[in-house]
Amino acid sequence: MGEGPGTKRRKNDLILLAAVVLAGLALTAAYGLSRRGGADAAELTVVVRQNGEITATYPLAQDGSYTITSEDGANYLVIEDGAAWIADADCPDQLCVKQGKIRYAGDSLICLPHSLVVELTGSDALNLDGVTK
Amino acid sequence: MKRLLCALLSLLLLTGCAYSTGGTDAAEADPEAAESSTEYLEAMDTYMTLTAYGSSREAALEDACAEIQRLEALLSTGSDSSEVYALNQTGSGVLSDDTAALLEYALNLYDSTGGAFDITVYPLMELWGFTTQDYQVPTAETLAETLALVGSDRLTYDSETQTLTLGEGQAIDFGGIAKGYTSQRIMELFLEAGVTSAMVSLGGNIHCLGTKPDGSLWRIGIQDPAGDEGDIAAIVSVADQAVITSGGYQRYFEDEDTGETYHHIIDPATGCPAKSGLSSVSIVTGDGALGDGLSTALYIMGLEEATAYWQAHSTLFQAVFIDDEGAIYVTEGIADVVTADAGFTVLTAE
Repeated sequence: MGEGPGTKRRKNDLILLAAVVLAGLALTAAYGLSRRGGADAAELTVVVRQNGEITATYPLAQDGSYTITSEDGANYLVIEDGAAWIADADCPDQLCVKQGKIRYAGDSLICLPHSLVVELTGSDALNLDGVTK
Repeated sequence: MKRLLCALLSLLLLTGCAYSTGGTDAAEADPEAAESSTEYLEAMDTYMTLTAYGSSREAALEDACAEIQRLEALLSTGSDSSEVYALNQTGSGVLSDDTAALLEYALNLYDSTGGAFDITVYPLMELWGFTTQDYQVPTAETLAETLALVGSDRLTYDSETQTLTLGEGQAIDFGGIAKGYTSQRIMELFLEAGVTSAMVSLGGNIHCLGTKPDGSLWRIGIQDPAGDEGDIAAIVSVADQAVITSGGYQRYFEDEDTGETYHHIIDPATGCPAKSGLSSVSIVTGDGALGDGLSTALYIMGLEEATAYWQAHSTLFQAVFIDDEGAIYVTEGIADVVTADAGFTVLTAE
């Protein structure tokens, strides 16, 4: 800080500094809130893709069960207590059933014989970009 | 005071910038830096998702999909037009450049892992039914017969002419490194096309290019290998790295008579599913093919041997090991970018 400036200049500096800090805080708060809003697991969406195309979406927060059919076969999708899983399927390998549940955005269930993918999208507390398995 | 104000102002501007556009320097250069496109495709017996950011993303994704199909056509063991199929049928052949590169990876891994990674386990995979899903537990006699065929030391390869000759009764499968090799090629194609931010998942093999468009690291969850509740055991944050996991919980079958389960990671030493005390191994590395092969090999080795292997090769990769009791071990090179609710033990290079 220089010596020269009088108290008026110093006062202006302080006001400007306060304004900058306040604006910064406001912005940080807005950013934080928007993140926190998105971190609610209840906002995740279960996206059903068949042959790469979205054929259905369901809120993860809403319990339900759905039979997903295609010319390749059928998968029985269950959404309950914040998780989604394939409880039954008529595919030969049953890998989709063995995959168990998914509950975080970025995770997915796959039934290759039926060209079916069930993925979770949205944002949650873990904020994952992908899941390795 | 002025300096302080300047610093605060620029901080504010930076925050504001990151908030509104999710951008870094690249964001200013590319107005579509934060825009993404995703391709979904089935290839190599698995499901793939490819996400790329920026204005070059569409063309880059098209290149990547074409490359995946090209490599699959070379490497598929099941397609009668593939190079690998022909090799397995005739027992000998001149390799194309990609297959030669894969073979050299495979032979190096075979040597360095003491045979834990072995592309000649294919007859064992067939015996157990993992190639056809017609599963069976082999008799001791057929197991011994098939095991006698296995061993990359019985392959003859002339790197000058790129000619490979298999031993009598042998068959090879690059399935243990093909996806990692492919993700590596995709990263190269993305860069050539001008993409600097991307993430692909080839059947759970994750490979990231650069950082996310906002400059932050990619957050990759490692699935909890115990139980099927969809829990995440650990999170690793990376840029420009592959994160590739092997675990016995993915593909397995249950013997209806005994109730015993058998998973698909066959130990070339025994011919049976590996029982090493590890339930999942994740490799973090810039080299996809290496990561793919090592995730399998280190799973087979078990914690002690795998740790020793990492200590001898710690410049090439890092790893997260989860044992059958759920204890997590993280190599020190990534200890500061891994989080796990259950906590973890850091493995050091000494």
